[in-house]
Amino acid sequence: MELFIEVFSKLGNGFIIALLLFALTLILAIPLGLVMCFCTMSKFKPLSLFSKLIVWVLRGTPLMLQVFAIFYLPGLLKLFVWPQMNTGWVWFDNTFSTRFIAALVAFAINYAAYFSEIYRGGIESIPKGQYEAGQVLGLTKKQVFFKIVLLQVIKRIIPPMSNEIITLIKDTALANTIAVYELIFEAKEFMTVDGLIWPLFVAGGFYLVFVGLLTILFGRLEKKLDYFKA
Amino acid sequence: MKILEIKNLRKRFGDTEVLKGVDLSLQKGEVLSIIGSSGGGKTTLLRCMNFLERANCGEIVVNGKTVYSAKEGEKPEVSPEAQLSFGLVFQQFNLFPQYSVIENLMLAPKLRAKGKAGGETVDEIRTRAESLLLRVGLEEKADDYPCQLSGGQQQRVAIARALMLAPEILCFDEPTSSLDPELTGEVLNVIRSLKDNGHTMIIVTHEMEFARYVSDRVVFMADGVIEEEGTPDEVFGNPKSEKTKAFLSVGMGKL
Repeated sequence: MELFIEVFSKLGNGFIIALLLFALTLILAIPLGLVMCFCTMSKFKPLSLFSKLIVWVLRGTPLMLQVFAIFYLPGLLKLFVWPQMNTGWVWFDNTFSTRFIAALVAFAINYAAYFSEIYRGGIESIPKGQYEAGQVLGLTKKQVFFKIVLLQVIKRIIPPMSNEIITLIKDTALANTIAVYELIFEAKEFMTVDGLIWPLFVAGGFYLVFVGLLTILFGRLEKKLDYFKA
Repeated sequence: MKILEIKNLRKRFGDTEVLKGVDLSLQKGEVLSIIGSSGGGKTTLLRCMNFLERANCGEIVVNGKTVYSAKEGEKPEVSPEAQLSFGLVFQQFNLFPQYSVIENLMLAPKLRAKGKAGGETVDEIRTRAESLLLRVGLEEKADDYPCQLSGGQQQRVAIARALMLAPEILCFDEPTSSLDPELTGEVLNVIRSLKDNGHTMIIVTHEMEFARYVSDRVVFMADGVIEEEGTPDEVFGNPKSEKTKAFLSVGMGKL
């Protein structure tokens, strides 16, 4: 019984860290994705090419690699490239909070890249006629985007976004590679230290329940926008 | 009184010249139909008038005031007033799906009145929208969404929406081309009632019978120029140009 309580309290703490990483990543990646999206859609060629390159790299390499890169690269740069840069200020030292921030930064830019492509698909799928109807009714470009296009885009991107967001909660497990004590990290501790397998499955249950809640939430959101067809 | 004058309008897409110098004028209250085969430049002319395309050169004069004037290589800005001198009803209706019928009508006037001292109040806009819905026979559909309406009903909403901004000239781009035959009648009836109310209109259409019946003047366009122009009886009854004759006889031959 005591062991049971210990497992649940440790896993609970790990889950809170996972949730925190999840929520903060979304808060950063959702708007950052919109910025990336506007950059890739920009008519200014150097900007759009550059941001397409960034999106390609972020989507084209493993997230785990990006977590390592964000965590170790600044230190390596300091070691080999700018050894004279000795300001006493360290980007990611080995405290928990900086490891967490390194993971958060990696997650946020990686997910922003995926979101930006979803946004772009949504925006480009809106028929030209909607923009033209707005223009002949005397609306400004800004009014057309915010009053006419945006809600139609949101309706269209909810299914792919919910997919990505569900993937994100499970991807938080990758943070354990730089010793962020999230859910899987805690469960693995029981395995390596106490030789217990079952806490891993309990951890799986945590994800499963949370994804179930997300599924219900997105289902409701979809239903709420079901009143119109676009 | 001339409400509209178009002088030497030219439009190119890449190397293809679609409008090769079009001159056109329109009296207040006049209904003009533009007919012609696809690719002749009818729709491009209408889109240039509504500034959905910018003509490469030429002038557009509304009520004696030049609202658009371009020389080769220039791309002039279009003022909001110039934009709103024209209204446009699209072939595909282009209603805003997330807004109810009445909200579709009210959106643009509400955005225009916002933040302007002495502008229309929301109640005034609503009253106007309701009376326009009554005119197109859809007062009972005010709170429906576009997806709940038939094509003909959607097009009538689109006409009412364009009228909300009281354009000097209301343009129609093949307003019945995406409708089933049994639904075209209700749209054409609305257009005819607008004529009776003295609206100035330009209609690009393939409905020859309707063009003949509703128009004061008919323009036949081919290869980017106005090939022939006259009263419906002149153009349909006694066409002078070979191209017009060929176009009309093919049309009749299909019947």
